[in-house]
Amino acid sequence: MHQSWPFRIMIWLGVAVLLLWSLGPVYWTLVSSITPAADFSARPIHFFPQNFTLNHFERLLGINVDRIGGVEVWKQFRSALFNSVVSSLAATVFCVAIAALGGYAFTRLKFPGRRPLFIAVVATIAIPGYAVLIPLYRLMIGLHMVDTFVGITLIYISAFLPLALWLLRSVFESLPIALEEAAQLDGAGRLYILFRIVLPLAAPGLTAAAILTFLGAWGQYMVPLIFSPTQTKPLTVLIPEFATKNFIDYGLITAAGSIAIIIPALVVVFLNRYLISGLLAGSVK
Amino acid sequence: MTAVTAINMERKRGAASNGDAILGLIMVAPIVITMAALVFFPLIDTMWDSLHRINPMQPGTPFIGAANYTNMLTDSDLRASWINTFIYVVIAVAAETVFGVAAAALINQVKFGRRWLLAAVVLPWALPGVVNAVIWMWIYQPGAGLLNGILTTLGLPFDNHVWFNDRVSAIIAVTVVHVWRMMPLTIVIVLAAMQSIPEHLYEAARIDGAGRSKMFTSITLPLIRGAIAIAMTNATVSAFNLFDEAWVLTSSSLDTRPVLIQIYLETFQNLHFSYGMALSLVVTVVSLLVSLLYVLRVYHTTRFD
Repeated sequence: MHQSWPFRIMIWLGVAVLLLWSLGPVYWTLVSSITPAADFSARPIHFFPQNFTLNHFERLLGINVDRIGGVEVWKQFRSALFNSVVSSLAATVFCVAIAALGGYAFTRLKFPGRRPLFIAVVATIAIPGYAVLIPLYRLMIGLHMVDTFVGITLIYISAFLPLALWLLRSVFESLPIALEEAAQLDGAGRLYILFRIVLPLAAPGLTAAAILTFLGAWGQYMVPLIFSPTQTKPLTVLIPEFATKNFIDYGLITAAGSIAIIIPALVVVFLNRYLISGLLAGSVK
Repeated sequence: MTAVTAINMERKRGAASNGDAILGLIMVAPIVITMAALVFFPLIDTMWDSLHRINPMQPGTPFIGAANYTNMLTDSDLRASWINTFIYVVIAVAAETVFGVAAAALINQVKFGRRWLLAAVVLPWALPGVVNAVIWMWIYQPGAGLLNGILTTLGLPFDNHVWFNDRVSAIIAVTVVHVWRMMPLTIVIVLAAMQSIPEHLYEAARIDGAGRSKMFTSITLPLIRGAIAIAMTNATVSAFNLFDEAWVLTSSSLDTRPVLIQIYLETFQNLHFSYGMALSLVVTVVSLLVSLLYVLRVYHTTRFD
C-alpha cells in the first residue's frame, strides 16, 4: 500500500519512540558503566559521557583491587560469572538433549502411555515454579544438593524441560516422515535415523529450544536465591547485593549489569530468528 | 511410494513395534524420572503438606485441615499484597496489550530493517529480570538518576525526587519495569498474527474505499483477536509471578509487595513452610483461573466468526 509522506513521518516518529523506550535504559547503563562516579550527579544531566573511565570494570574484574564487606568484589564477581555460565550451559545441554530424545519418542515411537505422559509433562508449563519450590527445598536439603551445581542444574532442567519438549515435538512433527520411512526401508535403526537424519533437520528447532532454556536459566533469580546462596551463587543473585541499604555503588552495578547484558544481547542480535520462532511456539499453546 | 513398499513397511513396523515400544520408554525415561521427582512429587507434597502445620521451629507436623487456608482470610499483610498483585496485573496487562498492539502495528508498517528493529524491541525481554530491575533502579535514583535528570532539564521541580516514597508512584515505577520486560512478548505474538493476514483483504478494503483506521478496526483487530488473548494470558501469568522487580527495587516494603514476595517472606523468613505451600497453590489456581477467563471470552466472541 502506498505510504504518504505525513504517514511515513508518523511511522518514523513511532519507531524512534519505540527504540528509545527499548534501548534507552540499556544505553544509559552502558554509558554509566564507563562514566566516573564523580560525574554521576552532574546537573544538568549529560546524555553523552563527558569523561571516560574503566575504573568500575577494573574494580569488578580485579584489575584494581577493592573491597566490599570484607570480601574482594572481583573474586565474588568472577566466581558468580563462572557459576552463571556453568549452570546455564549445563541446564541447556541436558535439557535440550533429554527433550530431543523424548520428543522424538513422543512423536514417532508407539509405546504404552504415550499421550497421557506427554500431556502430563507439557501441562506443567502452566504450573509456576513456586508451587513446588518448598518441597524441592526440603528434598535438596535431604540430598545435600543445596548450593551445588548438580542441584541447581536439575531444578533448571525440570523447569525448562516441558517447554523444550513441546517445542521440539512440534518441530519433529513438521518434518517429512517419508524421509524416515525411506531410511527405515534401507535398514537404518531408529537411533541412526534420529541422530543422522532427524536431528540435523531439526537444528533450527534445537537452537530455539537451547536459546529459550539458556536465557531462562541465565535470568533466574528466586530459584538461585534459595538453591544457590553462596558457593554456586550466579550473577543475578550477586548484582543486587551491590546495592546495600546505606550505600549503593552504581558504578559497580552498571558495570556488572553491562556484563550480564552482553550474552543475552549477542543472542538477540545473532540468533533473533530462532529466538522469535521459539517464543511463538512456546507461547501460542 | 508404491503399494508394495507400503505393505512391506507395515510388516516391518509390526515386527519393530515391540522394539519401538521399549526404545520409546527408554527414551522418555529421563523426562519421566526428572518430572516425577522434581515436579509431580513436590506438587503432590505441596498439596498434602498444606493441610499440615510444618514449621522447622516447631516440633511435629500435625494435621490441621484447612487451617492454613482459613488463616489467609484474616492475614492483613496477605490482603495488602493481593491488592498490590491485582493492581500490577491490571496495569501491566492493560499497558502491555494497548502499547504492545500499537507497537506491533507500527513494526508491521516498517519495510526496511524490520529484523533489526525487532531485535532491539526483544532485547529487554531477553535480559535477566534482576538486571532490568537494577537498570531502572539507577534510572529512578533520586540524586543522579536519568528520570529526575530529564525532568529537571525540562524545568520541572523533580530535583532529588524520591519515587519510592509514596505508594502510587512506587507501584507505577515497579510496573513500568515489568512492562518494559514483558511487552516484547506481546509484540512478537501480535506481530506474527498481523503478518499472517493475507494482503488481498487489505487490497479489497482499499478498493471499497476504506481508510487505514477502518482497515485496522474491521480487518486487523478481528483477525488478531486470538493472538491478543494469548498475549494477555501470558501477560497475566507473568504479572501474577512478579517478584524480581519488586524485590530489587523495594525489597519487602508492604506498599509494593506482591503475593510472590509474601510467599517468599512467609516461607523463608518466617519459616511457615506449610502456610507458604497453601499460599502458592492458591496463587497458582487464581492465576490460571484469571487466564482461563480470557480464553473463554475469546472462545465465545470468535465462535461464530
